[in-house]
Amino acid sequence: MSAGKILVVDDDPQIRRVMKATLVGHSYEVVEARTGEDALETIPKESPNLILLDMNMPGIGGLETCRAIRAGADTPVIILSVRNTEKDKVAALDAGADDYVTKPFGIEELLARIRAALRRSSPEGGPHAFQSADLEIDFETRRVRAHGADVRLTPKEFELLRYLVAHAGKPVTHRELLQAVWGPDYGDEPEYLRVFINQVRKKIEANPAKPKYVVTIPWVGYQFVVPE
Amino acid sequence: MHAKSLRVAASLALVAAVVAADLGLRVNATTAALSLLLAVLGVSAQFGLTEALVASFAAMVGFNVLFLPPIGKLTIQDPQNWVALVAFLLTAVTASQLSARARRRAAEAEAGRLEIERLYALVQSMHLTGSARKTIREFVNRVVQVFGCTAAAFYYAPTDEFARSGPESQVVNDHELLAESEVENASVDLLRGVALSPVRLGGRSLGSMALIGSPPSGQMVQAIANLIAITIEKARALEDASHAEAARQSEVLKSALLDSLAHDIKTPLTSIKAAVTSLLGSAPGGDLELLTIINEEADRLNCLAAEVVEMARIEAGKLHLEKQPVPVSELISGALAELSVPLKGRPVKLRVPADLPPAEADRDFAGQVVKQFVENALKYSPEGSPVNIAAELKGGKIVLSVGDRGPGIEEHERSRIFDKFYRGRRHRFDTKGTGMGLAIAKGIVEAHGEKIWVESEPGQGAVFYFSLAASAGGHES
Repeated sequence: MSAGKILVVDDDPQIRRVMKATLVGHSYEVVEARTGEDALETIPKESPNLILLDMNMPGIGGLETCRAIRAGADTPVIILSVRNTEKDKVAALDAGADDYVTKPFGIEELLARIRAALRRSSPEGGPHAFQSADLEIDFETRRVRAHGADVRLTPKEFELLRYLVAHAGKPVTHRELLQAVWGPDYGDEPEYLRVFINQVRKKIEANPAKPKYVVTIPWVGYQFVVPE
Repeated sequence: MHAKSLRVAASLALVAAVVAADLGLRVNATTAALSLLLAVLGVSAQFGLTEALVASFAAMVGFNVLFLPPIGKLTIQDPQNWVALVAFLLTAVTASQLSARARRRAAEAEAGRLEIERLYALVQSMHLTGSARKTIREFVNRVVQVFGCTAAAFYYAPTDEFARSGPESQVVNDHELLAESEVENASVDLLRGVALSPVRLGGRSLGSMALIGSPPSGQMVQAIANLIAITIEKARALEDASHAEAARQSEVLKSALLDSLAHDIKTPLTSIKAAVTSLLGSAPGGDLELLTIINEEADRLNCLAAEVVEMARIEAGKLHLEKQPVPVSELISGALAELSVPLKGRPVKLRVPADLPPAEADRDFAGQVVKQFVENALKYSPEGSPVNIAAELKGGKIVLSVGDRGPGIEEHERSRIFDKFYRGRRHRFDTKGTGMGLAIAKGIVEAHGEKIWVESEPGQGAVFYFSLAASAGGHES
């Protein structure tokens, strides 16, 4: 029984080979695409459960491909890239990626990220809705309105916000937040978390540099503040 | 003068011919007077006032003697004679003045047309080159051809250079040209046959020029000076643009080359690392050790590739910083998280004031410096010994420091440890790494315009410091 169908998009044949061998060994079904264009053709035919997308490819490239995928589907996308700067990560997340793994990576790390991305969010418990003067969140319908406009959060950003709201008024540590939203294998990526928090702030805060809702607690983590 | 007497003779001949014709045809006095008037009109229209006056006197005399009674005698008693004389004279003066004015206008227009044609010819003959120097050299040669001068000279102030069409141009020496570049207006010295003009553009002096041998009018010289000023400026703009473009292209190329180098090394490493870590998960005991070595060395190769590319980027001045306010706590906690494995069993003592303002820095690169300091502390101090990390505001700067309880660094080595590939004498053969870590840290700090240094008491450990600007902007809560 397959643990899920994964589309591997990379222009390097050796990487596709090793990914296929490894992922099949872990009970995943694997389909391959050589370029972003190939991937966009393959997706409707194969309906993969998850996409591993190389950032640096000839043709339309990873970011553009990711945007095109997002325009049509909510399939989790993990970007794989040799670049590890903040700028590249933010660009990938902005393009709609769920996760970002820097090449070269250990396979356990990648498998953990794949498991986390495939894990469906469990809405049991937690709040149903949050409402204040300039922010409305409906956790049932996954709708967010900030300053009178609908904002679109990626699934990971949404989970992050849900966890923080569920623990509103209390600081949530980096580790706790990472494990709650991404999975038990996470915990040492505060930098990673920061990128997503910044995305959430950009979408819901009036001034992301001086956040009102999602505030940083130095050395500890983050806290959702309910306005008076 | 010769031409004038010829014209006078021709005028007289015309009057004589008309008189002769009138006599031959036996016309009456009125017809004779009218025909002579026509002759005077013709002369004044064609020639100048002098010829017209001579012709009118001749006509009056001829008319009086041959057509007015008493025939054969010059008498001006009869009022008819006065009328005829005054009519001839008035016609002569008026017509000749009108025609002279018209001719002068035509001559002026012609001269103007010719000068504009020459200016245009000069513009046409100047090729638009991407170099001010080439443009000037071309100008001194072209202006001589187009304006028919014997020589031309140019002084170009921005580079303090002189250009001359040939040795004849030495009539005007360098000093004269230098002096001319300081004055306001063009001057033409007809005696020496020299025209001098400053060359300016929008009040800025570009130098001066001289035309030698039959120089054009002062106005024309000014026009030439304006023209060449614009042409030089255009050449200069083109030159600047092509320099900037060339510099930009080489920068883009270098940057792309470094990026593709990093990519090309990391791609095969990705396959190796993924394959070996996959095998590690299910390897039997004997293979485990070997696979672990492959894995570790793949990591080491990856670090090495990253450091080489980064060092190359720093040395090429291609470090692209994106400065923003960064809380110091995040720089430190980020480095500690990345080093969580080697930090096991090491007490970390943090001393960071809660009210420390954020640093104005590139988060990735500044974090890398902190990480490098901590790695260094771990590498050169005994296991289990503490690592002290501190940050403070000192003289408007944020100073971050990482201290260890290692053997310390001797004084003569302190300045050299930030050099590429330098290793402390004691550690030359027993420490892993590329020897580029601190050199990269230094490159990053210096790219921020800040300082990096080390303080050490041999035997007591070492403290590495670097400074960052405190962010003036908002304090991220």
